[in-house]
Amino acid sequence: MKRTLPLIITFFVGIVMVGEFFIPHYGYRMLTDEFLQWGLVLAAAAYLLGIVNLIQVNIPKITQRKPDWFYKLIMLLSLAITLAIGFIGGQDRQVEGAAYRWVYSSVFTPLSATMFSLLAFYIASAAFRAFRARNLDAGLLLGAAMLVMLARVPIGENLPYIGEGLGHLMNWIMDVPNTAARRSIFIGGALGAIATGLRVILGLERSHLGD
Amino acid sequence: MFDFLVRFQAMDRRWIFLGMAIAIVLPLLFPFKMPFRVDERVQALFDEVDRLPAGSRVLVSADFDPGSRPEIEPFYRANLHHLFRKDVKIVVLTLWESAPPLVQPILEEIAGIYGKTYGEDYVFLGYKAGREVAIKSIGADIPKTFPTDSRGTPVERIPVMRGIQKAADFALIVNVSSGNPGTKEYVMQIQGQYNLKLASSTTAVSGPDYIPFYKAGQLFGLAAGMPGSAQYEKLTFPDGKVPGGGKLMATASMDVLNLGHLYIMALILFGNLAYFITRRRD
Repeated sequence: MKRTLPLIITFFVGIVMVGEFFIPHYGYRMLTDEFLQWGLVLAAAAYLLGIVNLIQVNIPKITQRKPDWFYKLIMLLSLAITLAIGFIGGQDRQVEGAAYRWVYSSVFTPLSATMFSLLAFYIASAAFRAFRARNLDAGLLLGAAMLVMLARVPIGENLPYIGEGLGHLMNWIMDVPNTAARRSIFIGGALGAIATGLRVILGLERSHLGD
Repeated sequence: MFDFLVRFQAMDRRWIFLGMAIAIVLPLLFPFKMPFRVDERVQALFDEVDRLPAGSRVLVSADFDPGSRPEIEPFYRANLHHLFRKDVKIVVLTLWESAPPLVQPILEEIAGIYGKTYGEDYVFLGYKAGREVAIKSIGADIPKTFPTDSRGTPVERIPVMRGIQKAADFALIVNVSSGNPGTKEYVMQIQGQYNLKLASSTTAVSGPDYIPFYKAGQLFGLAAGMPGSAQYEKLTFPDGKVPGGGKLMATASMDVLNLGHLYIMALILFGNLAYFITRRRD
């Protein structure tokens, strides 16, 4: 029963939700809407599960002084403090100087922005070390990348004689080869998602049950 | 010379970082304000918003966080200015848990500049967990997905929400998106099913992913990365002046992008030159 019941629920919900696209009936729509609301409640509950999981995984590592235990302690403390501030003063997020606003603008925002900004430095380093025209394929990729990089910024657009042509060439690269490649990836991915979805609905794929 | 080229290829990456830092800081100190053209996709987005009659209602799904702020917050700001200036009613929501403290103050600030009233002219519905399920639910039934706004007022009592039942009831949907859930999920889950007029402002990394959606007509406009935001600013504020005394943030950052791109291109170019010269010798 522990296995069969989730499989029956998955099959039933999956079939009903797929049916929405083929059965344009008001009553049926009410049913799928209700399922969506359940889905939202479950998604919100997943946050609680996430917190429980985070604590379960990290507390033993802290108590046993495993590698990087100190960072895990900081993470759990940050979680607890942010959660407490959110519960006590989360409604004051618009109020200048309120604790929640301070945590967001003075801690979270700079940390988050710093992490993202580091990309610029690592991309520069990676491009210098790895971007080599070792063969024809790599050479084509490099040529296209250089063209797009140059044409995407005003300095490329404003180059005398070739600026406008460079822009057209970049648009062609983005609109034709890029679009063709992305479309094929999307369509391939979508077919894969349909196959996986069918396997889940039919109970052939059971990894979500922990198998 | 040969030894130098070999050493150059194995250069300590801290020198590369230093060069990048200089390329970023220099144009901020000494801006050179180079003119730039507006992309066809950004122009299409602007034109569609510009054609909206006063009183239309637009849904803005502001799904970004502080990490992507420099790239797409300028678009979000310019778009809100544009919509309020057109006297369009705005409904803002977010699917990113870290977005509300970022997007709500901006909405309030810009609404204040145009003297707009909360609830009458605009509303912030807040955050909804559930990612793609939430998007699907927005397509089907907004009052059920967001029973109250971020202040706890039931949506049926909010004038701007009157008559709004589902995503298709909006004249346009603008997704300011820096990842998942975002534009791709909106397109996959509800754009096609409900034939929605959807536009996207996204990061430079995601831009090429969404071009196929634009080419297929699933997006009516697309502003990608800082250039996309700067171009939208250029169209929204042709005289370069922002009401309320704000700055054209993306436009000002285009110089940084200029030098940053040139620096990376120079690294690649010289790296390859050194590689070929030393390889031939080997």
